[in-house]
Amino acid sequence: MSRPTSRRTSSLSALRDQIRHLEEPARHGVLPFGVTALDLSLPGGGLTLGAVHEILGAGGDEEDGAAAAGFAAGILARLGAGPVLWCLRRPDLYGPGLLAHGLDPARLVLVTASRDEEILWAVEEGLRTGLASGLAAVVGELGRLPMVAGRRLQLAAERSGVTALLLRRWRNAAEAAAERDRPSAALTRWRVAALRQTDIANEPGIGRPCWRVELRRCRGGAPGIWDMEVADATGHVSLSAELADRSAAPAGLNTEPQYRRAG
Amino acid sequence: MIAAGGRRLLAAVNPAAAAAGLAPGMPLADALSFLPSLATAPAEPEADAAALNRLAEWCGRYSPWTALDGADGVKIEITGCAHLWGGEAALAADLARRLLRQNMAHRIAVAGTLGAAWALARFAAGADRPALPGPGEEQAALAALPVEALRLDPATAAGLRRVGLKRIGELTPMPRDALARRFGTAVARRLDQAQGQVPEPLSPLGEAPTRRVRLSFAEPIADPADLARAIELLVDDLAARLAREGMGARRLDLAFHRIDGRVEHIRLGTARPSRDSKHLAGLFAARLDTVDPGLGIEDVILAVFAVDKLPAEQIGFSNGSEAAASSIAPLLDHLGARLGFDALSRIELRETHIPERASVVTTIAPKPPPQPSPACGEGRDPRHKRGRAGAASKPPRPVRLFTSPEPIEASWLLPDDPPFRFTWRRRAHRVYRADGPERIAEEWWLESGSGAADAIRDYYRVEDQEGRRFWLFRAGLPGSPPPRWFVHGLFA
Repeated sequence: MSRPTSRRTSSLSALRDQIRHLEEPARHGVLPFGVTALDLSLPGGGLTLGAVHEILGAGGDEEDGAAAAGFAAGILARLGAGPVLWCLRRPDLYGPGLLAHGLDPARLVLVTASRDEEILWAVEEGLRTGLASGLAAVVGELGRLPMVAGRRLQLAAERSGVTALLLRRWRNAAEAAAERDRPSAALTRWRVAALRQTDIANEPGIGRPCWRVELRRCRGGAPGIWDMEVADATGHVSLSAELADRSAAPAGLNTEPQYRRAG
Repeated sequence: MIAAGGRRLLAAVNPAAAAAGLAPGMPLADALSFLPSLATAPAEPEADAAALNRLAEWCGRYSPWTALDGADGVKIEITGCAHLWGGEAALAADLARRLLRQNMAHRIAVAGTLGAAWALARFAAGADRPALPGPGEEQAALAALPVEALRLDPATAAGLRRVGLKRIGELTPMPRDALARRFGTAVARRLDQAQGQVPEPLSPLGEAPTRRVRLSFAEPIADPADLARAIELLVDDLAARLAREGMGARRLDLAFHRIDGRVEHIRLGTARPSRDSKHLAGLFAARLDTVDPGLGIEDVILAVFAVDKLPAEQIGFSNGSEAAASSIAPLLDHLGARLGFDALSRIELRETHIPERASVVTTIAPKPPPQPSPACGEGRDPRHKRGRAGAASKPPRPVRLFTSPEPIEASWLLPDDPPFRFTWRRRAHRVYRADGPERIAEEWWLESGSGAADAIRDYYRVEDQEGRRFWLFRAGLPGSPPPRWFVHGLFA
């Protein structure tokens, strides 16, 4: 009697494995930020690899994409040492600046294309090539991201295990307003804004630059807002010391007026 | 019909008109008096030339060495190709059959020299009777032709006729120097060329490929799946040949010869030499949708224009950067094939303090990705040299830098102060904090320096009301003339 039972349990567990495999997208591990508050909000304790992540700017930077590029550079710095395909409209990235956030510019292969469709295509091709090409990640700077296109990218990333970072970069404020809150198929949506330091009013100079990092959407995770120091030369972010005590600001708190442009 | 000097002349006539006594060069009024029902159309020399060019290209199915011959002919060098078609006569018959199917009137001649072929095609061949003299008969055939068949200008030919020299055969026994004295060197040269005593090379239409493989179909094909299969066969064939030679292709052209005489092309470049048939076939297949098969394709010709040495394949993985670079190469080829290789670039760091020269965007193709060399070794592997320690000691640099600094309207208080307010791209920014100045001067030891006051820039890092950080600079020294302000980059 015991033999059929054990066979049944073993086949059952095999079936369970199969179902788990079907239900869950292929797991390719996570990349922790090393900031407990941040990692706890993310499923699996870090940024899911083999998935698509959106990074938005704020204010005028929604068009220029500087903070988003710095944030992406910090992530890429900690994401292996392989080449990174960075697809963008104009090659306006500056090597020494990326290096300051930990990303070795020698790893970058820039793909310049004027149209969003071409950038989407290049990103998808990069994702589809998979780990065989040695790619660590693919970055795409995009204005519009149609739902279907986003889903295609997500599927390609899940299949190949290559991570995609989409820097949303709009041509003007009107396009930004129309696109900013449109849902997409990406696993997470981040918004990174430069943070003006009001606490050190009497000290001269700019001081240590900070970001307000907002996790606006996260499938299977909890949105949140954190103020942190910009990614350092190793690509690590850290909760800024003088802001650490209020870093646990509850999610959903409307912080818009604090850093949105007035005009 | 062409308009010349206020008169309208016939440029060309069809056989029926020729039978009625019309000839090119006749005024239209005269022609209409001969043949009141004459139908005319304006001459289009450009369109004719384009059509002839297309025809010459289509003739590439017989030999890679094809070229235009004047305004009304195509010459094909079939030495070494004719046997592929079962001999010269069979080749000429095939050509005639296909031209007829395209509804194209033609006269064909095959001869040992360009001059003889020219003469025979125009003066001996008929519409359905190619001139194909046997090996010993060529000179005899040539001798019977009128002197105009020597490609002479009309005045020279008329001069020959005036002295009673009407046939080429009458010129042959004459001493060449006498001919040259009397009628110019052209007669003697043309005669020698026609008789093969002076070589006359054929310069082909466009560039001649170094390697070529061809696939012909008994029945024209149009189905994309069939075409894709044909591409695979050709690429396999080529890859095997390249492998034997130890070479890899850099530049390829895939020509689809349609039954209506048009030729469709897919041209490809590769980032590094390749003879991976799967990879190359994939590149072609990705572009197959740009090919219009029309009513059908009868030949596909794959030509290679540039090759590089590619040593025998190394199977297996290694951790070297060379291996990483070559495994990303197929992807780059794929991207480059659609977006153009100009679209692919990398960032190189250079050892200079001029901001825009410290980080240079260089294209990847056509040369392979830059290899680490002593000169740029510093830039290639900067992590150890400047990474963690270096970044802290150097002044901060922006993540985005504009190729050309953008002028801004700035307001400032003291000559050496950063602005307290500036307008950039029609947005007003209030400056809350600033660091600087960091003075950066031209590299005065370089000749290319502008030498102007702009050569000195004072850079400031400023933070606006949103917290965005800009890299501004003031061009020129404070004082008069009033300095100008620019935004050069953005910090993350």
